[in-house]
Amino acid sequence: MASFLRSTKLVAKLTQGPTKCFSRNYADQMNFTFAAANQIFYANKNIKQVDVPSFSGSFGILPNHVPTLAVLRPGVVTVYEDEGTSKKIFVSSGTITVNEDSSVQVLAEEAHPIEDIDGSAARQVLQEAQSQLSTASGDVAKAEAAIAVEVAEALVLAAGN
Amino acid sequence: MSYWRAAGLNYVNYSNIAAKVVRRVLKPELQANAAKRDETHVKFTPWVKGKPSNEKA
Repeated sequence: MASFLRSTKLVAKLTQGPTKCFSRNYADQMNFTFAAANQIFYANKNIKQVDVPSFSGSFGILPNHVPTLAVLRPGVVTVYEDEGTSKKIFVSSGTITVNEDSSVQVLAEEAHPIEDIDGSAARQVLQEAQSQLSTASGDVAKAEAAIAVEVAEALVLAAGN
Repeated sequence: MSYWRAAGLNYVNYSNIAAKVVRRVLKPELQANAAKRDETHVKFTPWVKGKPSNEKA
């Protein structure tokens, strides 16, 4: 009798075991915050997915993403909203944080919807940056000009889409 | 290592340059407001014996 009781207990343990192991108590939603020095785009809003460009590669974030920290590279952040619409916002630089509770924060220094980018201005700035790079002397001046070229290239690409 | 880090710049420097470039390519109607963020104003007031003095540090 005792052994029978023990075995039923064991079965009960086995059946509930895996569910306990694999549930990480994450919410099925992602609390998304996206802000820049110039504007707040989302404050604790629920979204489906967000794609971000970072120095560790471009990646998409869905709910229950593994906690992550990364620095942004200039490029387009795409936000897939719950309503089925998507928004493309250009970020200059900043950080992306994915927390254990599935909340996500994108903090940028400068962020603008890609509609606000002037394509011809972007091409002009790219040209200026390229000529600055060719005439720059010294490691620091060269690096600074190269950064401007990199950002301008990303802007031209974003404005073209 | 990225070229700018090799030249002695850090990500804050990178970010500043990137933000400046982004501000310059905005549509004309947004430029005026964006230009304000290009400058940073810091006012220093040195305190002497618990009181602010107007001497510049």
